[in-house]
Amino acid sequence: MHERLSFFVKRDSALHPLNPLTKIVLALGIILVSIFSPWYWTSHVLLLVVIVPLVFIGKVATEYFTSALRLILPAAGFIFFMQAFFQPIGQTVIFNFWFLDITQESLLFAFRIATRITVMISAFTLFLLTTHPSELMSDLTRRGLPPQFAYVIISTLQILPQMQAKAQTIIAAQRSRGLDTESTFFKRIGSVVPLVSPLVFGSLVEVEERAIAIEARGFTSKKAKTSLYEISDRSSDKFIRWGLVIFVIISIVLKLWLS
Amino acid sequence: MFEKIKKDFTTMTWVLIPVAIAINIAIGQIVVLLKLPVFLDSIGTVLVGIVAGPWAGALTGALSNTIWGLFNPDSLPWWPVAFFIGLVAGLCANAGLFKNWWKVILSGFLIALTAAIVSTPISVYLYGGITASGSSFITAYLLQTGQGVLSAVLSTGFLVEPVDKITTAMLAFVIVQGLSKRLVARFPRPENAEVESGNNTTQIIIALVVVVVVVALGFVVRNMLAG
Repeated sequence: MHERLSFFVKRDSALHPLNPLTKIVLALGIILVSIFSPWYWTSHVLLLVVIVPLVFIGKVATEYFTSALRLILPAAGFIFFMQAFFQPIGQTVIFNFWFLDITQESLLFAFRIATRITVMISAFTLFLLTTHPSELMSDLTRRGLPPQFAYVIISTLQILPQMQAKAQTIIAAQRSRGLDTESTFFKRIGSVVPLVSPLVFGSLVEVEERAIAIEARGFTSKKAKTSLYEISDRSSDKFIRWGLVIFVIISIVLKLWLS
Repeated sequence: MFEKIKKDFTTMTWVLIPVAIAINIAIGQIVVLLKLPVFLDSIGTVLVGIVAGPWAGALTGALSNTIWGLFNPDSLPWWPVAFFIGLVAGLCANAGLFKNWWKVILSGFLIALTAAIVSTPISVYLYGGITASGSSFITAYLLQTGQGVLSAVLSTGFLVEPVDKITTAMLAFVIVQGLSKRLVARFPRPENAEVESGNNTTQIIIALVVVVVVVALGFVVRNMLAG
C-alpha cells in the first residue's frame, strides 16, 4: 500500500542500461515525429516498425501488451469512434444516424488520430517500463535540473498512492456511517464535503511537518550533493540522442515545406 | 523578476506542490465516483496559486497533468491548460480576487475563459476538435450546424468551463479559509487569503451554497441539452 507509484520492470535487456535522458528523448522524438510528419502513414509505420520491436528488445512485451489492452486500446478506440461520428468532413457517406454520419474521409481521419494517440501513449509507456523514476531524476539533477524538481516528482509518486488509499478509507468509513453517495443529485453533491474535507485538511496539515523535516536535512543547501548511484552515459547514448533530434527537425521542416 | 519569483518558492511551497497534485487527482477521482457534472481536477492547482503565487500555481498545474498522464494518458497533452489555470489563479489572488465569495466567482470566470482559450488550439490541432471528453457532443452539434472548427470548439469551451472553474475556485477558497491562520501564515503569500469583510465562517457557508447552486445549474443545463 505504501509502495511508490512506478511502472518500472527490472529486466536484463539492451534498453534498460541506456541513459535515462536517451530514453526520454527517444519517447519524445517518436511522439514529435508522429505529430509533425506530413505523411499519412507515419504513425502506423512508427508503431509497427519502431515501437513494437523496441518493446521486444526491452523485454517488456507482457507488461506492454497488458497495458495496451487496459489503457491504450480503450482510449484510442473511444477517440476513433468520436472522430468517425463527429468529424463533419467528406462526401462519401458510408453510414448515417440522426445528424451524424460516417464518411470515408472521416474514417481515415479517425484512424490517423487514433493511431497517433496510440503511438504517443505507447512511447510514453515504453519509457516508463524501462526507466526507474529515481534514476531519471538523479541523472537530470546531475545535468543541472534544480533538485527541488526532482523532490516534487519523486515525492508526488510516493504521496499519490497513500492519498488514494486514504480516500478509499474515508469513502468506506463515511458510507458505513450512512453517507449517501449514490442516490439523488443533491444527496451526491452534499456528500462532497464529508468526503473531501478530511482528506484535504489532513494532508495539508502534514505539509508543515514535512517542510521542517526536509529543511533539517539540508534541502535548501546550495552545496553540490553527491549521489549514491553512478549512472552511465556512453557515447552511443549521445549518438542516439542527436540522431533523434535530427529526425524531429526533418519532420518539422517537411511539414512546413509541404503545407 | 527572478528574485521575486524565487521568493515564492520556499521549502513550504516545494512541499505543498506534491500534496496539491495528489489533491487534484484524488478529488478528481472522488468526483467521478459521485457522477457529478464537473471535473474539479484543479482544486490543488488553484490552492497553490492562492497561497504561493502564479508561478508556483503554474508549475503545479503542468506537473499535475504530466503525472496524471501516467495512468490516464489522455490528460497528458492538456498540460498547458493546467499551467495557465495555475498562473491565472495566482494572478487573480495577487490582485485580491480571493478575499470575498463574490470576487472568487469573478476569478473562477477568468480562469474558465483562460482554460477555454488555451485548450482550443490543442483540441483543434491534436484531435481535430473532437476530444475524448463528453462535451465534444456539443462541439459536434455546432460543427454540424455549419460553424468552423475553431469557433465551435471555443464556444463549447465558453459554455462548459465556467461551471467547473467557478466551482473549483470556490472550493479552493473554502479550503484556504478552513485552514488555521497559523498554517496559512507559513506560506509565501498569506495576505492573498485574508477575508476582507465579515468573518470567514459566513464566507465558507455562502461559498458552499454557491457551489451547490452553480453545479445544480450546470446539471439542469446539461439535461436540457441532452433532452
